[in-house]
Amino acid sequence: MPQVIIDGQTYEFEGKHKLLQFIQDLGKEVPFFCYHPSMTAPANCRQCMVKVGQFVKDRESGEYELDDNGEKVIRWFPKLQTSCNIDVADDMIVHTQETDALVRRAQKDNLELILINHPLDCPICDQAGECPLQIQTYKYGPEGSRFEVKKVHKPKRVVLGPRVVLDAERCINCTRCTRFTEEISKTNQLTITSRGDKNYPTTAPGREFTDPYSLNTVDICPVGALTSADFRFRARVWEMNQTPSIDITNGKGCNIDLWTRDNLVLRITPRYNGEVNDHWMPDEGREAYKIFNENRISRPLQKLDGEQILSSWNNSIATFNEQIAARDKKEILFIGSPHASVEENYALQQLANLMGINEVIFTSHTESGKGDDFLLTDDLAPNTTGCRLLGLKELDQKDLGFRVKKASLIVLVNDHFIDREIFSASDLDGKYLVSFATNHSKTTKFADLVIPITTAAEHAASYVNVDGRIQRTIPAKETKYSNRRLNLEMSEGRLDRYGTNFDNWVTEDNKIDCIPLWNFITEAANASGLDLSFEDGRSMMNEISDKFKPFENVSYEAMDAHAGIQLSLNPKTESPKVK
Amino acid sequence: MSTVDWKNYEPVLIPDIKDLHKIDVYEKNGGYQALKSILTDKKKWADPKSVINEVKEANIRGRGGAGFNAGLKWSFMPPADGGARYLACNGDESEPGTFKDRKIFEYNPHVFIEGALIAAYAMEITTIYVYIRGEYLTYIKMMEKAIEDAYAKGYIGKKIFGSSFSVDFYVHSGAGAYICGEETSMLESLEGKRGYPRVKPPFPAQKGLWGRPTTINNIETLAHVTSVINRGAQWFKNIGAPTHPGPILYGISGHVNKPGVYELPSGVPVLDLINDVAGGIRNGKKLKAVIPGGSSTPVLRADQLDGITMDADSLRTVGSMLGTAGMVVMDEDTDMVDMLWRIAHFYHHESCGQCTPCREGTGWLEKVLLKIKNGEGEIRDLDLLLDVTTQMEGRTICALADAAAWPVRFTINRFRDEFEARCKKSVHALA
Repeated sequence: MPQVIIDGQTYEFEGKHKLLQFIQDLGKEVPFFCYHPSMTAPANCRQCMVKVGQFVKDRESGEYELDDNGEKVIRWFPKLQTSCNIDVADDMIVHTQETDALVRRAQKDNLELILINHPLDCPICDQAGECPLQIQTYKYGPEGSRFEVKKVHKPKRVVLGPRVVLDAERCINCTRCTRFTEEISKTNQLTITSRGDKNYPTTAPGREFTDPYSLNTVDICPVGALTSADFRFRARVWEMNQTPSIDITNGKGCNIDLWTRDNLVLRITPRYNGEVNDHWMPDEGREAYKIFNENRISRPLQKLDGEQILSSWNNSIATFNEQIAARDKKEILFIGSPHASVEENYALQQLANLMGINEVIFTSHTESGKGDDFLLTDDLAPNTTGCRLLGLKELDQKDLGFRVKKASLIVLVNDHFIDREIFSASDLDGKYLVSFATNHSKTTKFADLVIPITTAAEHAASYVNVDGRIQRTIPAKETKYSNRRLNLEMSEGRLDRYGTNFDNWVTEDNKIDCIPLWNFITEAANASGLDLSFEDGRSMMNEISDKFKPFENVSYEAMDAHAGIQLSLNPKTESPKVK
Repeated sequence: MSTVDWKNYEPVLIPDIKDLHKIDVYEKNGGYQALKSILTDKKKWADPKSVINEVKEANIRGRGGAGFNAGLKWSFMPPADGGARYLACNGDESEPGTFKDRKIFEYNPHVFIEGALIAAYAMEITTIYVYIRGEYLTYIKMMEKAIEDAYAKGYIGKKIFGSSFSVDFYVHSGAGAYICGEETSMLESLEGKRGYPRVKPPFPAQKGLWGRPTTINNIETLAHVTSVINRGAQWFKNIGAPTHPGPILYGISGHVNKPGVYELPSGVPVLDLINDVAGGIRNGKKLKAVIPGGSSTPVLRADQLDGITMDADSLRTVGSMLGTAGMVVMDEDTDMVDMLWRIAHFYHHESCGQCTPCREGTGWLEKVLLKIKNGEGEIRDLDLLLDVTTQMEGRTICALADAAAWPVRFTINRFRDEFEARCKKSVHALA
């Protein structure tokens, strides 16, 4: 097998590799700025310089040439090479900054040059704390600067588009953003303008940076040149907790990180998953942070004399059971939702089964033309496939309308039919509407009983995307009833570990008074004497996996280990059946 | 070293013939006979390979500055596969001090066109582009006219001279960027993109214009091809310096009495060029310094020039290069600090901004030089300048960083006392 010697260590390799990626895959490091694994390598930042040589072989005999001491002769490249764009080859010898003073010097020199015109405004820069330039400078940069003349001044606070703001002085011209619009989103909206140390990325004159994926350029910008108009100056990165999760705004299920502080989701960034979204996500999914924070329902609401008033949990459970008990089962309609997780739909389905309600129905939420051939889908819900696999009965909007007309009690989970104009408020006259929901909407306004439930940011639950991949969320923010230090599912950030209750970012204000749907169902079932008990998403998924064939190998452990699991999705041969 | 006999040399690229730029006049003086010969004389030129071999044998070293054997470069083209192949002729000519190709565009465009067509035949090329710097608007128009005339006469187009060889020829204008004279950024510019040099490999012969095999030659190089085919490789090799043979268009500018472009053999002594060809230094002043081949080649002091001839090997012995043979002559009144600042200003202005060392380094050099020029520099700034040049050199994609660093390094090293004299006095008295 071909071999390469990096810093004195011999590694075997197969296939084609770029040296920088190869070194990184080994868990070692070479500093870089312009390289990105999903895009072409322009080798323009010149930071990833290494010394590269090759053992000399005799052309005819194929034997290694030896020097007087019997050591193999090495022919070094006359210049240092950028490791990002050089192929790993057999018999290659590489010296990185770990072992070679020349390489160390070159990298230091390069950082000095990058920094001479950089504003060094880290204290007010959003990127500080997650800035490759800052990190590499601490690690490999010079101790000071010898630059005593005037820096170049360039435009600042340039509004490139509705979501992205440019500070051209911070830009180090790595061209990641222009390559992103050229190679990944293919809108070609960004280009570099001007020349030499005056150049910076911008749009064509009079054009806006409206790319539906524009915020990815903010993520890949290795400095604070491109910032998100929304997130700018909102938080320092080290104050936030970073929790892996799933995008719930469309059917693709992009892997994301939720960044929370003080129980508010402040931003959403994509998380790498080569099977789903690579390093990217659409801008729409990032707007979803608002769903988690704003307009939330906190404490149950109950209609009394035509007006919704705050209720208690005990009261709402009792009301729910009374309303069910008072009606013929045929008049009760349980509507599941593609906007709710597999676990929530399952809990509803189990409750319906025990109550003797024949079926749980749902309708998909699609809008044709919304999707593209990248990460946006026509399906606007994260779990349509999950509902189908659970065997929920899928109705089109017209049939759903018929069923609603015939029912006298309707139970809705996180689907806002009045907002979606599937039925109007007048259709609900004389009917009792129970709405399990996360946010206030026109639909919840007409409900007789509103039960606040947790969002994807507050519970661990799974969603099956349009391609049949099941992936799960991890709670990122606390509710009134959960505690980051006690909930093992939740990640602990720097401030949770080291901050005290007296630090100003720990407040109860942003905790929502809501519970997971399955907890409410457990309580309600127990109160009416039914034998039903759900603990958490993890144990529910084990039950689902036992009962439903498409989910047979699914567990939270397996999903975590493989960044989601691809379910087999052939409706002809394997129609989702209850075992 | 035997002196090259330059006094009896008869110019072939820019001979003294009136209206040679007109196609009729060019034809009357033996024009397009070389092209006709290679296309029709199957006894002499059996196949395109034989043309490449002849050019390789002549050892035409590229006149754009790098001095690489043109025929050898042609032989790097992969075998034809039926797809498009390009010849890109580099007439960007933007190195300060260089103005030789302009002479060809103006006085003898057809010798270049013929050379390009021969090259195209030799490499089985389907399309020729000539990239001319935008400032040469007049010559762009003249070239367009010349190409139109050649199309009309059937020298360009389908089935030239009844052979199976067909080719198209386009003029493309630059937009004023020095960097577009770098061969791969010229390709980017031809493709309508920003003039950023490409990372090599892949080399243009493998993946050039629009990803297809491409050869890039200088205008003068291609003009010489016509003479080589007309007169034979041996004729070419017998002219001038043995390791760098053939005629060269010397562009002499600066403080001389008769600046201009002179076609002479390679290897003419530098002092002969200044004193005899260009009529000596203006106003009877003394020679101070010479930049031999365009602003990026290291400057030479007058006392370094004895016995030095204009070819790569001789110039290397005193630490300079032939470059484009665009010679800048400076008399004793020249302020080297001002001169160097002006060159540094040029490279700062022209750096494309792709690679960090060049983008940032060229500006740093210029700003420190400006400080010294204004009498605000300190002696440590000179060492800083030298250090910055080492931080730039050899660490970028193209050679612009080297081109910007060398003048600074060598001018300071060779005229250090002048630079120190412009710096602030040291606070420490020596005695």
